[in-house]
Amino acid sequence: MSPALATLLLVVLAGFLVTIPLLPAIIELRLKRDAQPLDVIQQYGGDIRHFAYGFRRIAVELQTQLQECVAAGTSATGVLPDGDEYVLLGHPDESFFVPATKRDSTWRSVVVAGADLALPDDLTFAKEIYAAGDLTGGERNTFRAILGGKNIHLQRASKVIRWAHAVRRFRAEHDCDLYGRISADQEIQLQSGCVFQRVNAPVIASGFSDPTVSQYLSRLSNVAADAAPSLPPAGRTLHDGDLEIRAGEVVHGSVVTRGKLHISSGARILGSVKSNGHLTMDSGASVEGSLIGGTTMHVGSDCRIGGPVLAERGIVIESGTHCGSAVNPTTVAAPTIELEEGVLVFGTLWARNEGRVVPKA
Amino acid sequence: MVYCLFGIVFIISIYTARHYSFTLNRLFGFQRHPYIDTDTANWPQVTILVAAHNEEKVVANILTALMSVNYPQDKMLVVPVNDRSTDRTREIIDGFVEKHPGRIRPFHRTGGKGGKAAALKDAMEMVETEVILIFDADYIPGSGLIKQLVAPFFDPEVGGVMGRVVPLNVGTNLLTRLLDLERSGGYQVDQQARMNLHLVPQHGGTVAGVRLSALREIGGWNDNSLTEDTDLTYRLLLNGWQTVYQNRSECYEEVPETWPVRIKQIMRWAKGHNQALAAYAFHLLFGKHRATFRERIDGTLLLGVYAMAPVTLLAWFLALGVFYQGIAPLHGVIALLAFTAYAAMGNFAAFFEIAAAVRLDYTRKRICLLPFLVLGFGVSIFSVSRAFVSQVLAPITGAKFHWDKTERFRTTP
Repeated sequence: MSPALATLLLVVLAGFLVTIPLLPAIIELRLKRDAQPLDVIQQYGGDIRHFAYGFRRIAVELQTQLQECVAAGTSATGVLPDGDEYVLLGHPDESFFVPATKRDSTWRSVVVAGADLALPDDLTFAKEIYAAGDLTGGERNTFRAILGGKNIHLQRASKVIRWAHAVRRFRAEHDCDLYGRISADQEIQLQSGCVFQRVNAPVIASGFSDPTVSQYLSRLSNVAADAAPSLPPAGRTLHDGDLEIRAGEVVHGSVVTRGKLHISSGARILGSVKSNGHLTMDSGASVEGSLIGGTTMHVGSDCRIGGPVLAERGIVIESGTHCGSAVNPTTVAAPTIELEEGVLVFGTLWARNEGRVVPKA
Repeated sequence: MVYCLFGIVFIISIYTARHYSFTLNRLFGFQRHPYIDTDTANWPQVTILVAAHNEEKVVANILTALMSVNYPQDKMLVVPVNDRSTDRTREIIDGFVEKHPGRIRPFHRTGGKGGKAAALKDAMEMVETEVILIFDADYIPGSGLIKQLVAPFFDPEVGGVMGRVVPLNVGTNLLTRLLDLERSGGYQVDQQARMNLHLVPQHGGTVAGVRLSALREIGGWNDNSLTEDTDLTYRLLLNGWQTVYQNRSECYEEVPETWPVRIKQIMRWAKGHNQALAAYAFHLLFGKHRATFRERIDGTLLLGVYAMAPVTLLAWFLALGVFYQGIAPLHGVIALLAFTAYAAMGNFAAFFEIAAAVRLDYTRKRICLLPFLVLGFGVSIFSVSRAFVSQVLAPITGAKFHWDKTERFRTTP
């Protein structure tokens, strides 16, 4: 073999060996199989009612047919464009859903009712359910998703897997598991033992015996329609270690601590608070702005917090505490949230891992 | 020579360990997103500054997007900072002002010092709100982005906020695809890991926010800086203000589509970063201020990232010198083992980071392009080194402060 040919062969072989590991890269560059920008959600603003509104559009499209069923007092079935079967109920009574056998206790159709809907116990709805009037569940019902034209009332030990939205009030009795999104345009009441993730309403109450929160509020002697500023005035004090704010002390401006923070009973902070360690708020203390915890947070009874309440690990809130106000709704968010009975949250409750309503100690 | 080489290898090893720790944290550690669930609040007034210098190709897109965000209209004012534009930028902005009365208040700047920081500094006369958000004109914010960027300011420790930048023109050519991978690694892994580990997330100057009282406390925008964002990060840190990163606050941007534009961009970043290195590194590391120990270490390493390019180049030359001088450092076998170990692990730290980012983004096939990143790194290392040398020689050559705007490529205004 001539030296020239050998050199050429060596170059070709070397080039081939270098190219082999680059082949997937070259193929991807040529074919552009994954050359789209990352999917950044541009239009969806994170509205908790997003899926409820989507389902309402479907219900609206079925309105004409539904009204016919209501007028005739009959039911009808059909298939939605996505292939799901639906059943329209004119004047449903509880007996309509009573299963013939235990195997029939799962409804696999979308249910659209033109009036109030009362359900028997131990039913599972594998698809969405809509009631134009009040929806009253039975005990141990399981729902994929519920849209209530008026009120939704879930009985003991029921489950919502994805979302529920009530145009008026939503109430869950003891030991309900409320996964996903729960929202109402007026109020939400959760009894003890309820588990939740994301909840939104003008007012959310844990463990009230009154039929409505407004009745409860009317019994309170001094409910202030707080109008805390969205961001408290500038000015803050920084503390490198632990800090205790003494009982009854009034602090003007915001407070930031690197360590633990203890806000004693009756203290008032006219600003926001941030603690990078554990944060404890004793009973009757108030924070005009936000309450931010780098780890865990324990809010005692009868506290008042004006702004967002956020903790990176967990929050416990005791009875009688109000977060936000009717005028200034807010967010309470942490991976885990434990609410004692008797807490009011105006706005959003968001527990990424698990929220739970517990009996008053 | 050999001891100098050892020193550089030691520093490179620290950066390697840093890359791995960030990547492993993102893959297996606790992820911090403390403000992202702030869904309902009494939202504060906010001013949104849109930096625009000859942005006729893109400015209409961002103004359209900002007019349709879900932030309360009466609490949001958009201020396009039209910085001495000579194209149709002014005309386009004024058209939007007419169409959306009361929601856009333009700041038309016709003279003054060049550069984004100088323009923002002048535009501060229009700002009356405690929260300021900043976007470059080529960005396209989504509907919920403004609330997400404002939410961290409910925390009184937060002075600055940074969102995630996502390239829009990914598929254009090899460069845009490589930049997409680099951005992915930089934000999805690097920035979020620094957030998770309570280190120093970097303010990026766009898809970002700053608290007015914090900005005033640190003396406002530094118009002598080529990267006002890096400068801001460190001045906030030294004054006890946190910059937080929100990985889920994503916003589209346009990345450079040609190598000369990319080289200019990275050279400006390198010079600006090195300015900050010279200005703050010593004080950050040894000075009396509020930064924690880990913030001091990470902040210094972050300041040094662009300086590492010329240092690495130097190490290559030193290694060649050592080789040709026949020196076997320590002991030949140990050197060989160390070299092999580094080749197997160290060289791939950055690639591992990007691969992890791609996985976290659920975009799988683009990972195939990973080997081509060598090309991007090669260009970067020489460009950044060139920037470093020109910066060092500036007092001798008399080179003046110059701010290069990144050219836009969008075709549909």
